[in-house]
Amino acid sequence: MITIDNLEKFYRTEEVQTVALNKLSFQVKEGEFVAIMGPSGCGKSTLLNILGLLDDPDGGSFVFNGTEVSGFNERKRANLRKHNIGFVFQSFNLIDELTVFENVELPLIYTGVKTADRKTRVHEVLEKMGIMHRRNHFPQQLSGGQQQRVAVARAVVNNPKLILADEPTGNLDSSNGNEVMDLLTELNEAGTTIIMVTHSEHDAKYSHRIIRMLDGEKVTENVLV
Amino acid sequence: MIRNYFKIAYRNLLNNKVYSLINIFGLAIGMAVTIMIFLWIQDEVNFNRSFENHDQIAQVYQSQTFNGQVGTGPAIPRPLEFLFRESYSSNFDKLAMSSWTNSKYLKYEDTNISRSGNYIQEEGLEIFEPNIIKGTEKGLEEVNAIMISESTAKALFGNNDPVGKILKVNSVDDMLVTAVYEDFPQNTTLKDVHFLMPWKHYANSQEWIKNARDQWGNNSFQLFVKLPENLSMETVTANILDSKKKANKEAIQFDTRIFLLPMDDWHLRSNFENGIQTGGRIENVWLFGIIGTFVLFLACINFMNLSTARSEKRALEVGIRKAIGSSKGQLIKQFLSESLVVTMIGFLIAIGLVLIFLSTFNELASKEISFPWSSPEFWFYSLLFIIVTAILAGGYPALYLSSFNPVRVLKGTFNSGRFSALPRKVLVVTQFTVSVVLIIGTLVVMSQIEFSKNRPVGYNKGGLIQIPVMSSDFQGKSDLMRNQFINSGGAIEMATSMSPTTEVWSNRSGYEWEGKPEDFQEDFAWTEVSYEYVETLGMKIIMGRDFSRDFSTDSNAVIINRTAMEYMGMTDPIGKYLTDDDEENPEPPKQIIGVVEDVIIQSPYSPVKQQLYVFDRFNNVNYYNVRLNPKNSVSENLALIENTFKQQFPNLPFKYDFIDEEYAKKFATEERIASLAQIFTVLAIFISCLGLFGLTSFVAERRTKEIGVRKVLGATVTNLWLLLSKDFVSLVLISLIIAIPIAYYFMQGWLQKFSYRTDISLWIFMATAVGTLIITLITVSFQSIKAALANPVNSLRTE
Repeated sequence: MITIDNLEKFYRTEEVQTVALNKLSFQVKEGEFVAIMGPSGCGKSTLLNILGLLDDPDGGSFVFNGTEVSGFNERKRANLRKHNIGFVFQSFNLIDELTVFENVELPLIYTGVKTADRKTRVHEVLEKMGIMHRRNHFPQQLSGGQQQRVAVARAVVNNPKLILADEPTGNLDSSNGNEVMDLLTELNEAGTTIIMVTHSEHDAKYSHRIIRMLDGEKVTENVLV
Repeated sequence: MIRNYFKIAYRNLLNNKVYSLINIFGLAIGMAVTIMIFLWIQDEVNFNRSFENHDQIAQVYQSQTFNGQVGTGPAIPRPLEFLFRESYSSNFDKLAMSSWTNSKYLKYEDTNISRSGNYIQEEGLEIFEPNIIKGTEKGLEEVNAIMISESTAKALFGNNDPVGKILKVNSVDDMLVTAVYEDFPQNTTLKDVHFLMPWKHYANSQEWIKNARDQWGNNSFQLFVKLPENLSMETVTANILDSKKKANKEAIQFDTRIFLLPMDDWHLRSNFENGIQTGGRIENVWLFGIIGTFVLFLACINFMNLSTARSEKRALEVGIRKAIGSSKGQLIKQFLSESLVVTMIGFLIAIGLVLIFLSTFNELASKEISFPWSSPEFWFYSLLFIIVTAILAGGYPALYLSSFNPVRVLKGTFNSGRFSALPRKVLVVTQFTVSVVLIIGTLVVMSQIEFSKNRPVGYNKGGLIQIPVMSSDFQGKSDLMRNQFINSGGAIEMATSMSPTTEVWSNRSGYEWEGKPEDFQEDFAWTEVSYEYVETLGMKIIMGRDFSRDFSTDSNAVIINRTAMEYMGMTDPIGKYLTDDDEENPEPPKQIIGVVEDVIIQSPYSPVKQQLYVFDRFNNVNYYNVRLNPKNSVSENLALIENTFKQQFPNLPFKYDFIDEEYAKKFATEERIASLAQIFTVLAIFISCLGLFGLTSFVAERRTKEIGVRKVLGATVTNLWLLLSKDFVSLVLISLIIAIPIAYYFMQGWLQKFSYRTDISLWIFMATAVGTLIITLITVSFQSIKAALANPVNSLRTE
């Protein structure tokens, strides 16, 4: 599903140029659950942003579903993104001015789903995440665990092929964290490819494969299953 | 999708009440000002447009050159009409000679009222097409006919039918009411024409008018024309340009030119300077149009600044939306719909404000504008206005916000950058520059008015009234009335005059005097006055004496003003003669018996014209000028005078004007501009400060942590206040530096149109600078002191 080859990314400030990704290469097959680990600043998040088509690499190739996507313009990337990729962030990133229902509905609006269909789909997902009773609340009225469920619900409502999770349990206590990890595992078992960035060895054990990074390079790769 | 946009917009407004209020009310005020100015401009531009043939109607003007000075005006001589009808008839569809619009007493049974109107030729009815309500369309066929306006009919006859009734006009003429016409609309030149009488009646009524029949030099009449549809104003003007010169050889030496002033120009473009059309009220239309645009722009700047200042908060939302799949275009639409929501709410409030303040505005602008509920044109423009404002206010924020990079925003490393505040600073400087220019402009206008008001007028205008006495009832009773007024105790002196104290009605040329240079083309302002005129007005004699009953020769005497003495190049004018250069029928020579200090009769902004006060030999009395008794109160004096007047003229209404009030009217136009400008300036400042207030509260909020740290490290409230205020104060200082030269340049230009003008003094700039800085400091300090006083523990704990 994903093949990256010699991927490079640099950050420049006025004085220095930092290498964030240094000729990184790996593959992810459809239906895999991959964890990416490494110390802060090793390039994990940069990698996730490029995989999520939020950012552009400075060199190398990125093939998504058989299409070379590095060098796509913003419009093309946005289009690919909204149909194929769901995001789960550490800090949930829900829109404060929208209710739970409206937050989850948002991706469907951007992909142009009709109102009636949207309602059914959102209800289905909320039911599945166990937060149906909270659908008319605003994010600030929810606990951290509940907010992350909403974020997961929003990530999966479009039935994306790929979910990118950036430290999904980072802001949660362990029981809420486990629930979120169980949710992700369920989704993976249902066929969704998941790439997750994490600091937590505990969470990483939920995955099939762990890629460890340091200074923008792949150090090791352990297959767990 | 749209619903989602509006929902977010609505919730954002509710969640940020202070910002929303500033945005909405700022915009509402700006829009209300713009709407009122729009209505005013529309009224001005549509002046005279209610005449169906307005684009074919014109007035005949002439310009003549006296000593290199070109004078231009609508007064034309009677023979021109005959010339046009004889030799230029193909240029005109209709021609109508007319008198000026003057007041007459109209009496029916016991009701006697004073109304203004014109004598006009029958074709005038086909030019102006008054809307006949009762009576005949051809109401001016008979020599003793009168057509009256609906309101005049109401005042004289109540609900009775006036047609066929006889009106007594000025107590002399019996005129038959032939028709009643709908009053001419307020925004037309003819708004004060409440009666129409036949020109042929006028032409034979008075000796001087009869004589004027052949006098090319007697420019005392008006001529209106309607062109055939196939001829343009320019063509006809070209055809008639030299008509007077061809017919009258004297016109050559004055380079007399005859031309048309189209009706569409009467109201807005009727000023001429040295023979060239220089505009007129159109300048005010432009001025207020620009001010209106600026005020709206200031309000839009608030919206831009507050939206982009809050961008850090909105940035996350932008990042999430982009991650989820929103395109940049969709985000732009979202932010534009937010500004559309704000603009629409602002517009609704603006309509409310307009409805509340329209009557006040009408009073200030002396207009009768009503709110155009039923005008599709207005609503169309309103819609356009809302959209343009929404784009103007929301366009830049929409582009700015939608361009955020989602990666940086979501990673939390979003930093708006070192220069991100620069556009905001530029906009604040723009706001204050505009405001400061408006302040200085207003102060200059006010000081010019003040300066001109303080100009010595040359007579004592307080405690002086004029009584118009144009009816023939008053003939020959001047001395009698003088004695009775004085005996009543209400007056201490009285003199008569041909024209009012505050107007020049007549200009004369054709005089010779000792030492007059060859080829000198003289032009004097002329009025005829009685004995005691100098005394009554309180004018100052600088040489010679007043007219005196002791000298029978005074019936051929003249008093001149100081300017006239200098104009004629005389140093010792007393006893010299002005002789009439008419060879066939000369007036007797006039002996100069006195020189008086200049009296401002016309514009208080212009030099006083050379003036001849000629002794009134033929009872050309139009006004009694009465000096009230200073020992009594004004109301006691007026009661005594009215009583005396009524004893003598029981059937005539007692009408009078205070001379100081008449004189004050000369400032009306400029005062109107000044008071409107004051209001707009206050609003501009208010809107700018509103924006500044919002920005300071934003900055204070953003720097809460910094303030907390500084406080922990020992900063005092004063230190912090200075820290937070100095940025804004320096922006306002930059505005002052930019605005002062701009304002100076424009106001210097504005002052050029007055020959008697004030200098723009330094204190105006000082006062503006100090005032603006004080207002800024007050606005800014409210938030910065609040932030500085906050307990640092709270701000640091939020981390």
